[in-house]
Amino acid sequence: MSNNIKIETKNIHAWYGEKKVLHGIDLQMEENTVTAFIGPSGCGKSTFLRILNRMNDYIDSFRKEGNVLIDDKDIYKKKVRIEELRKEVGMVFQKPNPFPKSIYENVVYGLRIQGINKRAILDEAVEKTLKQAALWDEVKDDLKKNALGLSGGQQQRLCIARTLAVQPKIILMDEPASALDPISTAKVEELIYELKQDYTIVIVTHNMHQAGRVSDKTAFFLMGELIEYDKTKNIFTKPTDERTENYITGKFG
Amino acid sequence: MSKATFNRRKDKAFGYFGIFATVLGLILLALFIFQIFSDGIGRLDWDFMKALPSRKWEKAGILPAWTGTLWIFVLTALVVIPVGVGAGVYLEEYATKGRLSNLLEINISNLAGVPSIIYGIIGLQIFVRFMNLGGVLLAGAFTLSLLILPIIIVATREAIKAVPKSIKEASYGLGATKWQTIWNQILPMASANIITGVILALARAIGETAPLIVIGALAYVPFVAKSPMDEFTVLPMQIFNWVSRPQHGFLLNAAAAILILLLMVFVLNGIAVYLRNRSRKKFGL
Amino acid sequence: MTNLEQELKEIKDTVLEMLKLVLNQLEKTGDAFLEFDEGLAEEVIHSEKRVNALELTIDKHCENIFALFNPVASDLRFVISMLKMNSDIERIGDYADGISDYVIDLEEPIDPVYLEKSRIVDMFDIAYNMLDMVIVSIESENTELPRQVFKKDRELNKINRASSNLIEKMVKEDHKNTSSALYLFSTIKKVERVGDHIKNIAEDWIFYLDGEILKHKKKKG
Repeated sequence: MSNNIKIETKNIHAWYGEKKVLHGIDLQMEENTVTAFIGPSGCGKSTFLRILNRMNDYIDSFRKEGNVLIDDKDIYKKKVRIEELRKEVGMVFQKPNPFPKSIYENVVYGLRIQGINKRAILDEAVEKTLKQAALWDEVKDDLKKNALGLSGGQQQRLCIARTLAVQPKIILMDEPASALDPISTAKVEELIYELKQDYTIVIVTHNMHQAGRVSDKTAFFLMGELIEYDKTKNIFTKPTDERTENYITGKFG
Repeated sequence: MSKATFNRRKDKAFGYFGIFATVLGLILLALFIFQIFSDGIGRLDWDFMKALPSRKWEKAGILPAWTGTLWIFVLTALVVIPVGVGAGVYLEEYATKGRLSNLLEINISNLAGVPSIIYGIIGLQIFVRFMNLGGVLLAGAFTLSLLILPIIIVATREAIKAVPKSIKEASYGLGATKWQTIWNQILPMASANIITGVILALARAIGETAPLIVIGALAYVPFVAKSPMDEFTVLPMQIFNWVSRPQHGFLLNAAAAILILLLMVFVLNGIAVYLRNRSRKKFGL
Repeated sequence: MTNLEQELKEIKDTVLEMLKLVLNQLEKTGDAFLEFDEGLAEEVIHSEKRVNALELTIDKHCENIFALFNPVASDLRFVISMLKMNSDIERIGDYADGISDYVIDLEEPIDPVYLEKSRIVDMFDIAYNMLDMVIVSIESENTELPRQVFKKDRELNKINRASSNLIEKMVKEDHKNTSSALYLFSTIKKVERVGDHIKNIAEDWIFYLDGEILKHKKKKG
């Protein structure tokens, strides 16, 4: 059963100032799948991820060519409002970055900035997303507690709940578990596996075993190029490109 | 002696030198304060605080001076906070980074080092003469605002820079606009450091004498200023005026006035420290 | 259930499916041989395709698990034991298919007297029981039953060893018996080999559960 294409990129080239970092990336990601981007440090996978929700717009030296289509609509058109885009495409970052506020306020921030302030709605969103993020039981008794007092793994799950509260269709994750201990990592991976049913997830990971565990399809990047993109089990059992094979077997990277 | 022993002795020697330098400074300061205290404490009483200046030292008081200082403090704050913080936020968050903004940043920092008397002359030309305000409180407030504006802009920018980029990214990532991010995340986290900068700058402003002399603040003001358009005097000026009189009694008055001025500055600094500590506990900033 | 747990369960389900299919094949081929039922033999030959397809599926699935999940400890032993069992099960299916081929080839049924004397009936029964016990113990994660399988296998070996003499007598009594005798002999050998493969499956299962390697050891029980 194949799903419709949720995200499509066409011939993406990108530069930081004079330095070219992406060379002609064509990629299609289906709805309700987990796609992993793997590759050695500096290969461009994080840059490419951030193109999908225009987070690179804040970097003055950044320039791109090519199209990014979400639900067949070009997200870089002038009339697109970035705030609307970010509500559809959420992002979880490498280092957990909760706001220095209470757990409750962290989760509802995305709703408050949209003008949603009704207590009942916010309460419901908090409970629902904290449960989705498998954090509810641990924090339900003290939602007023400052988020900075949580452990690293809990903070990251809080950031995931915060992203879910906005009800995006797509969730981008930039090495979401690399700053966490093994147990928290396992929890986050389990979470991704469960979220897949309702969301389209794209995850950048420098740990390719993680890609093996959670993703349906994997894209291998090297020096700004997309070398190979296929079902994860094919990439891991018989990759077609020698460079992919070398990376997977640990001969470099 | 071995190299190791030599290094250890050098280490110890530096330790002693450091202690000596610190203690020397503290001792001198303590001596000064003690001297002032013993001279001035005798003259400090409510009559002194409520009296107008007079040619007789035992009747002279600092009422116009400390009310003038208070006026200057409030007026300057009202002008410089919105302008300085606003400019700082704009320059740090909105202005596109490039050659022009770098140039601006360097020049603003330089302005903070310009001698205060120059600001006095600028204030004289623009506010007193060109805008025809005369040597009144408002002109003084505007002039001092110019003086401490660069400090506040720099403090605001530094406070905003100290907010971790990750917080901004998280906010943008959730769909917040630039202004929402500034208002909801950046300013709260930067506020303590901004307020600290503002308070310290204002504490400096109320100690300034030269620019106010230039714009025409008076030395002998036998009345209390009642509106921003009144002529005025301030504590530092009063102190300066008394110190230049021959009678010993006026020196005691000056000492008492210095105590009041020091008290104000210490209180302001104390508030700044308290706020900074509270922010550090809450935000880690 | 985590992703990995889900995958491991699927492998076990597929292996059990294959085991039950092969058990059925064994039963049918035994009946076909003993009753000279060509219809049953055709069924067995036809179903052999399914057995082979399942073998390929399980192989691929195990390979994917190794590649994607890097299993360790009991998970690793599990996948290894499933992978090894897979080829033993396929061989059993293959032998069942081979015996059914004999039924098709034979022009007339073998004399029931010789069938009786050779105890081929018992062999089929024992083999069927052994495989059934193994299936039960895999479903219930039990290690007691597999050990009983070893005892039964020794019986199969005994019957097999005694068969050489019988076949010699069969041929000497009447040269027309030679063809039947050869088919009977081959079938006995095949069933004995089936027993060996079932024993292998039991050993692999014990390896998974107890981490114990029993291959090539003298066994009690």
